[in-house]
Amino acid sequence: MRLELKNISKSFQQKPVLSSVNLQLNENQVISVLGKSGSGKTSLLKIIAGLEKPDSGDVFLNQKSILNKKVNQRQIVYLFQEALLFPHLNVFDNIAFGLQAQKVEATEIESRVKAILKEIALSDHSSKFPLQLSGGEKQRVAFARAIIIEPQVLLLDEPFGALDVETRENMQKLFLKLIKQYGISALFVTHDLKEALMIGDQIAKIDHGHLRTYQNKKDFIQDEKSGVKEEIDFWTKIQEFE
Amino acid sequence: MLKRTIHLVLITLILLPILVLMMLSFGEQWIFPDVFPQNFNTKTWLKLFSSDSEISKSLGLSVLISLSVAFLSTLMAFVFSKVISTSKYKNQYIKLAYLPYILSPVVLGVLWHYFAVVLKLNASFFGVVLAQFLICFPFGFIILSSFWSRHIYDIQNLSFTLGASTYFSFKRIIFPLAKPILGLCFFQCFLISWFDYGLTQLIGGGQIKTLTLSVFNFIKEANIFLAAIASLLLLFPPLLLLFFNKKIKFKRSLINTH
Repeated sequence: MRLELKNISKSFQQKPVLSSVNLQLNENQVISVLGKSGSGKTSLLKIIAGLEKPDSGDVFLNQKSILNKKVNQRQIVYLFQEALLFPHLNVFDNIAFGLQAQKVEATEIESRVKAILKEIALSDHSSKFPLQLSGGEKQRVAFARAIIIEPQVLLLDEPFGALDVETRENMQKLFLKLIKQYGISALFVTHDLKEALMIGDQIAKIDHGHLRTYQNKKDFIQDEKSGVKEEIDFWTKIQEFE
Repeated sequence: MLKRTIHLVLITLILLPILVLMMLSFGEQWIFPDVFPQNFNTKTWLKLFSSDSEISKSLGLSVLISLSVAFLSTLMAFVFSKVISTSKYKNQYIKLAYLPYILSPVVLGVLWHYFAVVLKLNASFFGVVLAQFLICFPFGFIILSSFWSRHIYDIQNLSFTLGASTYFSFKRIIFPLAKPILGLCFFQCFLISWFDYGLTQLIGGGQIKTLTLSVFNFIKEANIFLAAIASLLLLFPPLLLLFFNKKIKFKRSLINTH
């Protein structure tokens, strides 16, 4: 699997959101895309998923353009900031949704859903409705629903933004475990520096629609514009103050 | 104590007219100053089931007209509200939908009557259905416009990224989510049509005798016993609506997660 973005540009009401963005995501790789609110992160993900069209540029999956491919045929799952579980379906049916859409046999769906429910430690919650779950549990179900169909690429739009610190850390660990286990490539968008460093194999930074990809985490940390230095300075000052 | 008294007064006020109607429908020879009718029997009710009964014909016609209007209005309103939800003129369209309610229904009826005559739809079943549709469709459009929120589009988009086709997404996600509001819209449109008198009288030209028209006719003829039966039959759908409303509210509470 290889996802490639070539010269993607997008404007809304003549205001540029993305300017000639280039990106390459390889097999089993996780790239953290770091950026502030309004930097163009969500637009970038929506273009890859097919939910928005770029003004120019192309998106390639395994060397083939997918720009004119329908959203449901791209094998790219987009996880929104909210868990967005289907409110009228229970946990089991939420997770099984993608497999049912692909017309997988009922017996296989059952065994696969049960297996993933075990992975996310929600076996006892399979008949519960989203309203009956906590924020962290909802996100776990949303993950399982995305991962079970084994997409080529998983796009995550600040999925842990609304969670408390402890749940957030647990979710980050679970995400890394599952993504490696299922061998899925992912673009992980966040505005949290620590989270970006923890999750990504590689880091990219988006600012006012311009994307810069760093070769490795070391390059990113050493870059003065990355914000890492300010973060370290801040914590050093706090320590000195104490 | 006060709460209980208020409850009792309210229940009595609601049930008393129904009780009087029931007595009238089963009563015979209710002459002033008798408190109750002299006889109680099922004679008038049995007339309802006779083959040449005007009430049963009116009942059948009313059900058919109201079902047609409710179905057509809900379906069209659902499709149009979806299309217009992404338009930049969405708010203007919604304001426009209030137009039939700013105009008096009689004025609207007179205007539609001209077109009904030209299109040879006056005094016909379809003419009445179309006239009532003109009132119910904007109503349905206003109700259903609230359904197509950003949240619903996000959920739909998510289902697409999970591999669902437009049909599968509609069948498994959009329709089940819309079902409570569609049901509400259907029943409200049904009731508007069910109780309509002016438009039906005007466009139907007295040829389309719905149950509402029959009630007025029986009252005009001073046939209070048949008028009571027709009125009770008229009350049946609102009671049904109340029953379904409870169910819909329960379902909505389960669905509202955000």
